[in-house]
Amino acid sequence: MKMFSVSHKTAFVVDHCPYMAESCRQQVECDVLTKSRGQGMIPLAPVSKSLWTCAVECSMEYCRILYDVYPLKKLLMSALAAVGPPNPQEDPECCSVLHGLVAAVESLCKITEYQHEARTTLMDTADRVANRGRIICLTNAKSDTHVRMLEDCVQETILEQNKMAAGSDRLMPIQQCELVLVHIFPQGEDTLVSDRPKKEVSSLLTSEVHSVRAGRHLATKLNILVQQHFDLASTTITNIPMKEEQHANTSANYDVELLHHRDAHLEFFKSGDLHMAGSTSRDSGLKETVTLKWCTPRTNSVELHYCTGAYRISPTDVNSRPSSCLTNFLLNGRSVLLEQPRKSGSKVISHMLSSHGGEIFLHVLNSTRSTLEDPPSISEGCGGRVTDYRITDFGEFMRENRLTPVPESPDTEASGKPPAERAKAQLERYTRYWPMIISQTTIFNMQAVVPLANLIVKESLSEEDLLTCQKTVYNLVDMERKNDPLPISTVGSRGKGPKRDEQYRIMWNELETLVKTHVAGSERHQRVLDCIIACRSKPPEEEERKKRGRKREDKEDKAEKSINKDSEDKSWQESERLKGVVERVKEEQGESEVIKDSPDSPEPLNKKPRLEEIQLPEKAKGPVSLLTMWTNRITVANSRKHQEFAGRISSVNNKAELYQHLKDENGMDLHENGKATR
Amino acid sequence: MPTVVLMDASLSMTRPVSLEQCSEELQRKNLAVAGLTMLFEHMANNYRLEFTSLVAFSSLWELLVPFTRDYNTLQEALNNLEDYDKTCLESALHGVSNVVQQEWGHACPTQVVLVTDGSLGIGKGSLRHSLQTLKGRPEDKKFPLPFPFPAKLFVMCIANAEELQMTDTMHNLEQLLQLNGGDGQIFTMEGQLCLKSVQSMFGRLIDEVYSPFHAALYFPAVLRCGNLASDVQVFPRPEPVFLDEEIDPMPRHILTDLEIVGFIEIGDISSPPVMSRHLVLPIAVNKEVDDVGPGTTEEPEEETSANQQAGKVPNFCVLLHGSLKVEGMVALVQLGPEWYGMLYSQADSKKKSNLMMSLFEPGPEPLPWLGKVSQLGPISDAAENPYGEDDSKSPFPLQPKIKRSYAQNVTVWIKASGLQTDVQKILRNARKLPEKTQTFYKELNRLRKAALAFGFWELLKGVAELLERECTLLPDTAHPDAAFQLSHAAKQLKLASTGDSQYAAFDQNINPMHTDFSGGGAGM
Repeated sequence: MKMFSVSHKTAFVVDHCPYMAESCRQQVECDVLTKSRGQGMIPLAPVSKSLWTCAVECSMEYCRILYDVYPLKKLLMSALAAVGPPNPQEDPECCSVLHGLVAAVESLCKITEYQHEARTTLMDTADRVANRGRIICLTNAKSDTHVRMLEDCVQETILEQNKMAAGSDRLMPIQQCELVLVHIFPQGEDTLVSDRPKKEVSSLLTSEVHSVRAGRHLATKLNILVQQHFDLASTTITNIPMKEEQHANTSANYDVELLHHRDAHLEFFKSGDLHMAGSTSRDSGLKETVTLKWCTPRTNSVELHYCTGAYRISPTDVNSRPSSCLTNFLLNGRSVLLEQPRKSGSKVISHMLSSHGGEIFLHVLNSTRSTLEDPPSISEGCGGRVTDYRITDFGEFMRENRLTPVPESPDTEASGKPPAERAKAQLERYTRYWPMIISQTTIFNMQAVVPLANLIVKESLSEEDLLTCQKTVYNLVDMERKNDPLPISTVGSRGKGPKRDEQYRIMWNELETLVKTHVAGSERHQRVLDCIIACRSKPPEEEERKKRGRKREDKEDKAEKSINKDSEDKSWQESERLKGVVERVKEEQGESEVIKDSPDSPEPLNKKPRLEEIQLPEKAKGPVSLLTMWTNRITVANSRKHQEFAGRISSVNNKAELYQHLKDENGMDLHENGKATR
Repeated sequence: MPTVVLMDASLSMTRPVSLEQCSEELQRKNLAVAGLTMLFEHMANNYRLEFTSLVAFSSLWELLVPFTRDYNTLQEALNNLEDYDKTCLESALHGVSNVVQQEWGHACPTQVVLVTDGSLGIGKGSLRHSLQTLKGRPEDKKFPLPFPFPAKLFVMCIANAEELQMTDTMHNLEQLLQLNGGDGQIFTMEGQLCLKSVQSMFGRLIDEVYSPFHAALYFPAVLRCGNLASDVQVFPRPEPVFLDEEIDPMPRHILTDLEIVGFIEIGDISSPPVMSRHLVLPIAVNKEVDDVGPGTTEEPEEETSANQQAGKVPNFCVLLHGSLKVEGMVALVQLGPEWYGMLYSQADSKKKSNLMMSLFEPGPEPLPWLGKVSQLGPISDAAENPYGEDDSKSPFPLQPKIKRSYAQNVTVWIKASGLQTDVQKILRNARKLPEKTQTFYKELNRLRKAALAFGFWELLKGVAELLERECTLLPDTAHPDAAFQLSHAAKQLKLASTGDSQYAAFDQNINPMHTDFSGGGAGM
């Protein structure tokens, strides 16, 4: 439906003339006596509604359905001439329906919020915004001539108002107006006005006349009109199992009729299956409804159905017990599938009823074959053979990047970015460094890095966040000092993979990469990076030196072994040796003699010792990773079971120089590839 | 986009082609078969996901091969095609319409390839006759065009343009295209009718419609999630969308940059209505975008090894798909200005699953239960986690500001039963006074308000009388307060029913009568 069709605005005009106080002559028993108390009692006289009451309650019903199905973008102006029933003694002239019609036309001229919005957003195409409307007039006309008089009145008023509107900002000339005159007359009387289908009074005005008996008939008529005016269609859900009020253990099947947008039946219309699909006419052929069958088992909410449309519904008989049973069932968050009987006798699930936040929708499910059936699996395509994706980590990432509605407020507008843009910005920050597979990363496989990794992606860091990040770094330093193993992937490398301190080097590099992508964020981000650089603190020489030191240890270790038997992996050793030589040469060129080349030598030019000092008390109260705790515990437990190594006892800073006796004895280099240690 | 090949099997198709330089005698039918063979081969090589069906027609029509991806079956059926009587296009088009709708419904865009020699029948049932009698047909005998589904019609004429223009055939075919909303094209053969010219004609069709270089079926795009990205192909190609034609008549296309906004649980997005669904297939970056559709195999062996290599390079789509599947979530993706869609894992069978993208209706608020998409922000923006620390809550669905009629206690008296239920409710409570004083007055006031709004004063009088009678029927054991409240309520209703503004004000309520029986009650 076009946005600014005649259905955009509807004005109800209910005649308040004295005649409307007339009874509709349909009686309603309001004193229903139950069997147990009925004996010997005379029920009270039934009551009957006035024409006015009928008209008002039917217009209200029209609005009820309308608001249920179109809560937005449809405006309805109920220009009730006055509240309260008309006074039969009043002068007919002063409360003529004409005043109501004039008021209705005036109100149609008023620009609506949506029209205003559309006009301002489409400055260059503002002329596309149309002003059309509908007037539904419930009245008691005296004759066909009277009807014509009413039409002329509306026509004249429109012309007058359009002249006025041309010169106003808040008014818009009416381009098209649909006048629906409903003539109401009491039961048992003959109508003085004849039905007339829609005809054009002028290019601006079309008019139709419906002549209806008050009461039930009027309600049916308005129900049909609301369907016509707002493209609605009716669906009857059959076979709804419901517990009986009296006998809770038995259930009977009920039907409930719902109204909704016609498009929910589009598939039936197009395929011409409408009449096959159990369409029946009710209320003596006045109404068409499509029957769909209640379907147990129910569906669960975590299933994603392929749904081609969802339309709000309104029950035709909102307060009936079956209707309210069904709507309450749905409002409690359950969904129900509906089955469409087919001509072949086969059954197809074609619709689903489901509520979302207190609104019930009729979902149209796709029941035809999909062109996407049997596609190649994602594992057959690009990246499909990779097996170590960080699926769980990305799942965690998705949870952190879930969306939430942010209330619209001047605040958020002031900050510039709409929430969705902020969500994208967050995704950007979170993915600045995000390796996709486990073997590409070390830090994200380490529990110890988690606090920092979680915080560093934040837009801004608090002082506390900064502290946590720093603690994480100290903790890593501690791990390195204790030579804790790292979860480095061995995929793609032969043998045991890189050596321990090489592992730490990789880890520190990766951590630096992560943090570096965020330093532009704030001064505190920068301080995290500073902390890392300070703590890993190994200038290249130092690192090389350390590496060589390790190699020397290795060599010495091997040499010792080779005393007993010849090394079998000589080739490996050879290559290592060559590397070592190259390194040494390089190093010796650049290194001054002053720097001691022993592992226990204090590291120059860095804050590490100081940091270690403060780290210890901090560690005691700060968060410690489970791994660290466990390792510490095991170490303590183990240390009780054996005599402590002499080397460890005499160690400085947990490091002991080996083969000191050799040094003492020879005072010289003794290994083929060794070098002067002092 | 499925294709229906509508093959003319009328006798005129067996007319021989006069060829000087060709020794073998060829019929027009042979040329048509040769052309279609070329098309099928092309499809088999380039679009293995496409469905094609074969319908043959003369005065009747027959579905020879239902929609399939198996081009061998199609080829076989084509080779065994028999010859029938005269051409009757109208019924054949009805047939196509039925076949497509039964298989795909009314929403699936389809291509119809009509292969004919251009002699479109004579007399009743001929295209000329059909077109002449277009107007004034009854509802059930309408011409099948335009199809009830979006369709492109391609007419492959085994004849050259001059031949067609000599008669009114060309004119009729053009009219046919117009009936289809101008969507389609007429192809004719150039020069002499021979294998070469038929191949060149089908070659033009392939270039226009099935060319991988025009990406008519696959839509190349980049899927982004922050800095993570993957080159992808979207299949089938999303159709341009028209919004309200009055206000915004320009077609909308999806962007080539598909940017993820954030993530939502499947339960929260809750089977949303979508316009169309598309596979999102990751493609290797280093290769030509256009010839890497799944199933594109120019040189099968090389392709295989290349595919294997591409399979080993980590791809963001695979990671995303895996996590979406495990977590039961969808990714909200922006398709254009105020246009969104969702990415999720779709399992076709137990083993195979795929990354799928569904497009929502364009607009700022495609799903009422999510609210405006531009107002969806990261959870870190909220003061406290809206999902709760233990994921026990959810900010969705959004509640509408005004409750729907079925979610509130509305008063509808159109049917007598509605009125009777409301009156009975009051009477039930009246008998349980004074315990039910609150509910009694609540129901009474609801009825009073509705009666005043509807101008239904007679009802007020009636209910007042009912209450008075209840008062007289009170048993001796009844609490004295009951009688007081009943007569008080009856009196108030009566006053309201006079319309006296002092008593009949809509906003006013009848309040319970203040009584105090705490002292003397026990002695009575």
